[in-house]
Amino acid sequence: MIPSKKIEIFCGTGGVGKTTLATSRALKLAQTGKKVLLITIDPAKRLKQILGLENANEGEVIQLSNDVFGPHSDNIFALLMSPKATLKRMASLSGAGESLDNPIINILTRPYGGMNEIMAIIEVQYQISTNNFDSIVLDTPPGKHFIDFLESTQKIYQFFDKSFVDIFKYLGKKFTNENEKEKTGLLSLLVQTGVKKLLKYLEKVTGESFVEEFIDAISGLYRNRKAFTDALAFQEHLKKPEESNWFLVTSVDQQKVSEASGLQLDAQKFMHKDSYLVVNKSLMPYLNAWQPNESSTSLVKLRNSMKERENAIKGMATEGYKEVLFFPEILGTEPKSHVNELAQSWS
Amino acid sequence: MKVDTTNYLSLPFILSNKKPRLIIITGKGGVGKTTLAMAITKAYESVGKKVLYNCFDQPLNNSLSRNLNLPHFLLKMEDSAKEYIANKLGSETIAGWILKTPFFSSLFNMLPGLGHMILLGHIINKLEEDPELTIVLDSPSSGHALTMFESPQNFKEMFRSGLIVEDIKRMEDFIFKADQMKVVITALPTEMALQEAQDLELALKQRRVHDITHVVNDLLKICPSLEGSTSDELPDFLNKKISMEEELLKNLDSSWRLIPHYTHDKPSSIIKECSLLLTKEMHDS
Repeated sequence: MIPSKKIEIFCGTGGVGKTTLATSRALKLAQTGKKVLLITIDPAKRLKQILGLENANEGEVIQLSNDVFGPHSDNIFALLMSPKATLKRMASLSGAGESLDNPIINILTRPYGGMNEIMAIIEVQYQISTNNFDSIVLDTPPGKHFIDFLESTQKIYQFFDKSFVDIFKYLGKKFTNENEKEKTGLLSLLVQTGVKKLLKYLEKVTGESFVEEFIDAISGLYRNRKAFTDALAFQEHLKKPEESNWFLVTSVDQQKVSEASGLQLDAQKFMHKDSYLVVNKSLMPYLNAWQPNESSTSLVKLRNSMKERENAIKGMATEGYKEVLFFPEILGTEPKSHVNELAQSWS
Repeated sequence: MKVDTTNYLSLPFILSNKKPRLIIITGKGGVGKTTLAMAITKAYESVGKKVLYNCFDQPLNNSLSRNLNLPHFLLKMEDSAKEYIANKLGSETIAGWILKTPFFSSLFNMLPGLGHMILLGHIINKLEEDPELTIVLDSPSSGHALTMFESPQNFKEMFRSGLIVEDIKRMEDFIFKADQMKVVITALPTEMALQEAQDLELALKQRRVHDITHVVNDLLKICPSLEGSTSDELPDFLNKKISMEEELLKNLDSSWRLIPHYTHDKPSSIIKECSLLLTKEMHDS
């Protein structure tokens, strides 16, 4: 079996069975005695039901019972990502919790409020730092959003850059956990004047209350910036082959091979070279066994086009991968036994 | 295999009694949104309508678009934001200056919803300027589509007053005014995919989006290459797949529209075929 690592990351375009495969990997690791945390972002309702996450509070780590996938299922812990829960824990850890109780932050951390990716990175890094698990299996958001997910560490960095600090200094917000001295040089004065002008312009467009609340929101985030900058370490884990396994998942019924390969190119700058391409829902064994009557040209055409589709995906794997893993299409089983069957394919 | 074609997706069905000006194609990744969005655009064009395809915040598939001679326009988030702010402040210089500060550029990066809202606003402006125009929007996949629909409400609550709120209200008027916007949710024929499509539909309805058409794509059961073949000519795995599809379709009500699996190797051929399917009734009559 592919040796387990601290982080096992599953990515790929949507609808390829990423979550189910990630779950099957978690099950396989659990069956070999590892304690595994399975983190999912926005899974299908059925899988939520199966994992027992449906009635769980979002952001809570749930231990599976052995009823779920049979023996050793209780080595699996599952977590459904919730920006709000992450924010809450962040606040309680930083001791500056009240600073995050702000109308703007509350809206942005709603499930579709727009801070999902960044909060997810913070959550994952936190779970890594607790050292509670042998492996963390991470199911990432689909497609381009996965790139957003990875890039969010970069965004965090940009957000807390120097120009930002100057804005606060101008605004005179007090950072009680800061001991930074006021800068009174000409340069920062110039920056300050610029900021003042900028906010005046902005106020016309946005209304007055917004600017005030926005400044509070930003200063709240700034006071909790340790959680954000700590999360930058996540990217480092992902670059080290000894710490992470990358599984780039694609599936034969994908409608857009070109997009999947484009995604690969984008992802490669975040990945290390020891990565796996996973081709899911492969029909090849069935197609190879099928010999349609030569006279029925439309059936021959169908078989050939299905084979071609699969070969096109295989063709993506020409470079940059340690190994290509095929998982057969599993026809007509319940999701539970589906996960079990896939788990067996990992050996 | 006998096929009932009355449930096929068609342009007249999409337009039935209404004339949506903004048609948004959404669904999970990999379900064929781009294929369908481009096919709808071509079908519209073929019946003499003024239509443009837009891929929102995703990059355009250039070769495909060229191949199909697809009527389209592109938006760049930064440019849209600049245009918007410049319009409000009456100065392009100041707008450029605001957006160039690292602070604001990272703000747009941090909050995709803000960018989505500005793009959507830009699209609605375009529609308001030209009453003859219809736009087919190849939207981001489900999660981000929800961000897109939720953003106006979220940002309205955030800003509360000021010029932006007036614009958001105008946007909402357009989006939620009956008959102007249609959402097409696309799914593949698997149990989980259909469940997710239904979840998405519910989530959209909760966000006051009501004109929704749901579609099952890539159905082998109605694949043109299988027409005339009997089940004993087909291998077990295909019969099994088809019977699974039938099982799934049984649980869907008749409002679901169907699109066949096409056996072409080129995406542009599939889009052309799909566009023909959409206008079939119109050519027949």
